Amino acid sequence: MTTTTIPPTVSAVSLRGISRVYGRGTNAVRAVDGVDLDFPRGAWTAVMGPSGSGKSTLLHCAAGLERVDTGRVLLGDTELTAAGDRELTRLRRDRIGFVFQSFNLIGSLTAEQNVALPLRLAGRRPRKAEVRAVLAAVGLADRARHRPRELSGGQQQRVAIARAMVTRPEVLFADEPTGALDSQSARVVLDLLRAMADDGQSIVMVTHDPGAAARADAVVFLRDGRVVDRLAGAGAAQVADRLVALGG
Amino acid sequence: MFRLSRAGLAERWPLFIGAALTVCLGVALVQSSLLLLISAATADAPAGQRAADPEAAVALLGVMLGFSAFLAIFIISSTFGFTVAQRRRDLALLRLVGASRRQVRRLLLGEAVLLGGFGAVTGIPAGLGVLVIQTRMLHRFGFVPPQFEPQWRDWIVGASIGTGLTLALAGALVAARRAGRVQPLEALLDSGAAARVMTLGRWLAGLFFAAGATAMIIVSGHAGPDGGQALAMNVPMATAVAGAALAPLLIPVVARLLPAGGVLGGLARANLRDGKRRSASVAAPVIVLTAIVFGQLAAGRSFAAAGIDEQRRATAADLVVEAAKPFTVRLPGVAAASVETSLPAQVTTGSGEDSETETVDALVVDPADYVRAHPSSGSLAALTGHAVARGPGGDGVPKQGNVRLRVAGTDLGAVPVVARTPVGIGGGASLLLPAGLVPADVLRDAPTRAFVTLKPGADAAATRAELAKLGQVAGIEEWLAADGAARTKTNDDIFLIVVGLGALYALLGVINSVVIGAAARPREFAAARAAGLTRGQVLRAALLESAAVTVAGLLLGTLAAGGTFVSVLAVTSAVTGHSTLDLRWGPMALVALSALLVTSLTSVLTSWSATRAAPITLLAARE
Repeated sequence: MTTTTIPPTVSAVSLRGISRVYGRGTNAVRAVDGVDLDFPRGAWTAVMGPSGSGKSTLLHCAAGLERVDTGRVLLGDTELTAAGDRELTRLRRDRIGFVFQSFNLIGSLTAEQNVALPLRLAGRRPRKAEVRAVLAAVGLADRARHRPRELSGGQQQRVAIARAMVTRPEVLFADEPTGALDSQSARVVLDLLRAMADDGQSIVMVTHDPGAAARADAVVFLRDGRVVDRLAGAGAAQVADRLVALGG
Repeated sequence: MFRLSRAGLAERWPLFIGAALTVCLGVALVQSSLLLLISAATADAPAGQRAADPEAAVALLGVMLGFSAFLAIFIISSTFGFTVAQRRRDLALLRLVGASRRQVRRLLLGEAVLLGGFGAVTGIPAGLGVLVIQTRMLHRFGFVPPQFEPQWRDWIVGASIGTGLTLALAGALVAARRAGRVQPLEALLDSGAAARVMTLGRWLAGLFFAAGATAMIIVSGHAGPDGGQALAMNVPMATAVAGAALAPLLIPVVARLLPAGGVLGGLARANLRDGKRRSASVAAPVIVLTAIVFGQLAAGRSFAAAGIDEQRRATAADLVVEAAKPFTVRLPGVAAASVETSLPAQVTTGSGEDSETETVDALVVDPADYVRAHPSSGSLAALTGHAVARGPGGDGVPKQGNVRLRVAGTDLGAVPVVARTPVGIGGGASLLLPAGLVPADVLRDAPTRAFVTLKPGADAAATRAELAKLGQVAGIEEWLAADGAARTKTNDDIFLIVVGLGALYALLGVINSVVIGAAARPREFAAARAAGLTRGQVLRAALLESAAVTVAGLLLGTLAAGGTFVSVLAVTSAVTGHSTLDLRWGPMALVALSALLVTSLTSVLTSWSATRAAPITLLAARE
């Protein structure tokens, strides 16, 4: 078993000996294999690894989207492993935010309606100013009435970030947030995430891009479902070298 | 949630056109049938009139009502089921940003409410048009008297709105439950988790209706003529639902048996196997159409044929004389003649609040002559004086006990039922009255028919000429054929109406499925073109695929109709002693070809429109 603990004090998310196996018998694949890991509060952690190293599965398990076969997942002091559908729904509403590679905005709603959606689902009637303020924070105050198809990829991703942040979640999970963006748009999105982390937002991000990972506070490397290394405060070149050494 | 429902509908309105038209048609038909039903049931038949048959009208309208509701819910539920399958990623995304299962269910039900409201708003005026058509139809087939007019009721507006909402909500219920079970993780998986097509619900529905159909087939042979016929007519509904529910399982198997060669054939077959749900959605209305049309057609025709056969076996006569008023036959060449005068009679059974009055066909007969002309009638020796017997029609008359009898406005009081003939499959008079029970002046203008047996060696031509002075004379075979044709005509008329309606719905269903299926495929078509297929080849592959699915649906529908065939054989064998199955290949082939034509045409049109854009623009667009 590989054990890596990132020093800083209180954890936003803690994984305790988690494993996730797909398939059965000889076809069984251990996507996550006995991982012990803490994502520190108020910090931005990037998860990297070659294709098939289990980084997406790790993210899904940490966010309570996928059940673990063994081990425990803790969000703050809430145990996700035992939570039922209702409790997980509440967690997603109030304490967790998601950003995806493919933006995943609802095409029939405008940018501000997309951003207000999580609050409305929670039964709140958000004030327009509140929603506009969040959109302004991602630099899209003037795009509130546009539908996703009228926005560029980078703008759509910023709307997605605004939607994730509108509930002020404890942890923001990001799955390849710059994977579908050109370098210019990617830099705007990464600057935004950096600013959020500097304000104390906990972020867990899966990425292929050493440049994106280098903007995080720490980088965790996975291979074959296990944590094999970690770097803190490394530059893009250093992250890339380490990734190449892992066979990615 | 409601705003989201509205936005969702506005975004994908083309997917809901079919469902909206279905609700509209359903509301229109239910409204019109309801108005006519109430007008027919409450209309007072003018004294002495017998041209009208309010019961037949009520029965026909009842069938149309039930049939419309059944098909509307069926089509709406398949539309919603299909759109849920296509929107799994969107629904998962909602769950991911915090929607609860109940909220996702409410989203779908909200769409259903909007759809139902739209259907009601368009269906109410459309219902007025349908009312005109249906009234004309009832007049033409003689189900209502010429002066019959449907009456408008104000409350029908409320009823129609209720109908629209109920149809849409009932149709969306299963899909909404299914949507609530979509897992949030599916939003993150790039391919989208391949949802299981054969869900537990599908299995249960398929097996439940298959078991129900089997039970109906088994029971139908023991349920007597009326019950047996009713069960046999209902078998195709059950087998159709079973076939549609199990379609994802059966279609690929059947399609594998169809010949398909070359690259395009292989591609079509692979697409069909891969898109099990899409294939099943296109096949489902075809299965329902085929099963119901083939099943009802065979049942109607076979029961009519069995009735004619039965009549032939049960009649011992050489000639039949028909006249518009009573007559007697006393001729030297005649060995026996059963003179039967027909008139309507009101039969009341029970007493007080439980009493029920029905208008039935009655025949005034001489019991001994009647038994001679209809040898399988049993003994009518007791039928003398103040008494009646139950006739071969059977409807509305108890086997024994007393009934209250009114004939042409004259109350004959309580009369005992003293005898009964076996109930036949072809129906006939429900009541036999002995001569003398009904005053002669009541019978003055009653149509009369005599079954005449000639003496051996009598001069047939001379006797026939003498009989012709009494009324119209026909040889027995000639009369049986004409009587059968008249009976079949009513049957055909009803069949035509019900099947026409079914076909209309099925057509909507088929077009709907093909449109929805193709709407999700521009990217897939673009990928095929990027791989080197020309636009023509893509269209041909799509056409091959839809043709294969249709043929598979037709085969499964025929199989489902087979349940009715078995039931018809069981009923006719049990009731008449002879198994009868009369299949009409012409109309069946016509239905099959039309289905094939409609699916092919729709498939070509939709895939043509889906391939209009250059492939690269579709492949590049992500969102």
